[in-house]
Amino acid sequence: MNQWEVFVNDVKELVEDTDLELTIRTLNPGMHKFTYKRVRCSVSADLKKHADQLQVRLGRGQLSGSRFSIKVLDEVQRMPSKYL
Amino acid sequence: MAAPRSNREFIDACVRSGDAVRIQQEVDWENEAGAIVRRACELAAPAPFMEKIKDYPGFSYFGAPLSTYRRMAISLGMDPNSTLPEIGREYLKRTNSEPIPPVLVDRKDAPCKENVLKGADVDLCKLPVPLVHEGDGGRYVGTWHAVVTKHPVRGDVNWGMYRQMMFDSRTMCGAVFPFSDLGKALSEYYLPRGETCPFATAIGLSPLAAMAACAPSPIPEPELTGMLAGEPVKLVKCETNDLEVPADAEIILEGEIFPDYKVEEGPFGEYTGYRTSPRDFRVTFRVNCITFRNNATMTISNMGVPQDEGQLLRSFSLGLELEKLLKSQGIPVTGVYMHPRSTHHMMIVGVKPTYSGIAQQIAQLAFGSKLGPWFHMVMVVDDKTDIYNWDEVYHAFCTRCHPANGIHIYKNTTGTPLYPFATPHERKYSIGSKVLFDCLWPVDWDPINDVPTLVSFKNVYPKEIQDKVLANWTAYGYPPVK
Repeated sequence: MNQWEVFVNDVKELVEDTDLELTIRTLNPGMHKFTYKRVRCSVSADLKKHADQLQVRLGRGQLSGSRFSIKVLDEVQRMPSKYL
Repeated sequence: MAAPRSNREFIDACVRSGDAVRIQQEVDWENEAGAIVRRACELAAPAPFMEKIKDYPGFSYFGAPLSTYRRMAISLGMDPNSTLPEIGREYLKRTNSEPIPPVLVDRKDAPCKENVLKGADVDLCKLPVPLVHEGDGGRYVGTWHAVVTKHPVRGDVNWGMYRQMMFDSRTMCGAVFPFSDLGKALSEYYLPRGETCPFATAIGLSPLAAMAACAPSPIPEPELTGMLAGEPVKLVKCETNDLEVPADAEIILEGEIFPDYKVEEGPFGEYTGYRTSPRDFRVTFRVNCITFRNNATMTISNMGVPQDEGQLLRSFSLGLELEKLLKSQGIPVTGVYMHPRSTHHMMIVGVKPTYSGIAQQIAQLAFGSKLGPWFHMVMVVDDKTDIYNWDEVYHAFCTRCHPANGIHIYKNTTGTPLYPFATPHERKYSIGSKVLFDCLWPVDWDPINDVPTLVSFKNVYPKEIQDKVLANWTAYGYPPVK
């Protein structure tokens, strides 16, 4: 199970059971903790629906009480190809 | 006492004088190190030198390097007990001297080349990048550092302190304001051409190099560092681009800025004492090479409520640079000072009020200068008010600033997204507002009959009475005044 975190302005941005594109950071212990990925994913307020867990922070870093489970479908490459 | 030439010499000098403490128990890079630095700032305590970091053997942290005037005096090679006006005079003396160009050294003589990571070995997570504040948008690589760039046309070198967050193992992102030197170069040159901008981030600089990177001086920072130190700063060529970096820095990150690709950065606790600027898409830095000294020390500035080095040093250098500017225009200023507790938002100017409109002239020059975006209040007091004494300044403000005639507001100026009072729209577009508090008696008032007389011990009693009272103070039964 992986632990992830996302920053949003409003928890309503996390629409359940639909394809979302989010920038999430890993909370797994170790030296790569807090590094980011852009992913396509699905989230659910049912914490048992997906294996991974998602914690939410708001615009100024406040920890939200809302929790989700998350399924990362794939990683999204946003960087222009000329820089790859 | 000579100015410390490197971060290491500075740490040694601070430990010797009692201005730094060595912390030998293990400290967590996640929040704990940041919390120690923050508390040290709020208590004006000695700087923490944290010698053992969880997950990162062989690295150390040095926090709050210049968050007291004592440590600023040590950095200049002065007595730690020097007063603020003494430190200011020394800064002005050195920065008004002849520029001292840097010298280029061979890489074998550059300690920052002791370890080199290139290609697949590049991973920012191999460095002890701290999570400075709980709730920050990320781990911040650059909090007390210099981002080195060179103007693509003019060739002038810029060292700027632009915050840098680790996004992933090879990517950083940060706030580069559009009015900054780097912001202008990106928008005017690199973005239209679709070219990447070479950069190098130097961490663990000598304190005077950091002071130069933080100072809003028109003198190029390598020369300014030399002037402050009284000897040339040693630079070395980067491994992967043509930039030159301080040879004795602890850590160097080399790479390129993508002018047309941004990723999410922030929020971050800033010098204003708040997390103000929204999380937003900001400038992206790709790291191509990391070099570092053996047993490298990462410097950490933890900005928040007063006082930290962001407030103290920026207040100090902004004030003195404005003093130079105003004097260059022939304005009879007697001093310029920002109290660090204003989080470098209020400029206090002392002046001989010899003609009408002098306060407006000062404010227009201050707000219209390159220094202007960093503060939004100018308070002008007369030459008899001690600008370093907040009690006197506050008294002048409350009693001499006419509510209708003495407050002048300037709208739609350049601002920063960090202003806590700014609206969300203003933050997004760096729109500012400014205010002048004119605390001078109007020159068209009769000085005898119209100007009120200040009723104070030093102003209303004859000199012989003052001397007698001072001489007899303890004889009256009072304890001595320190």
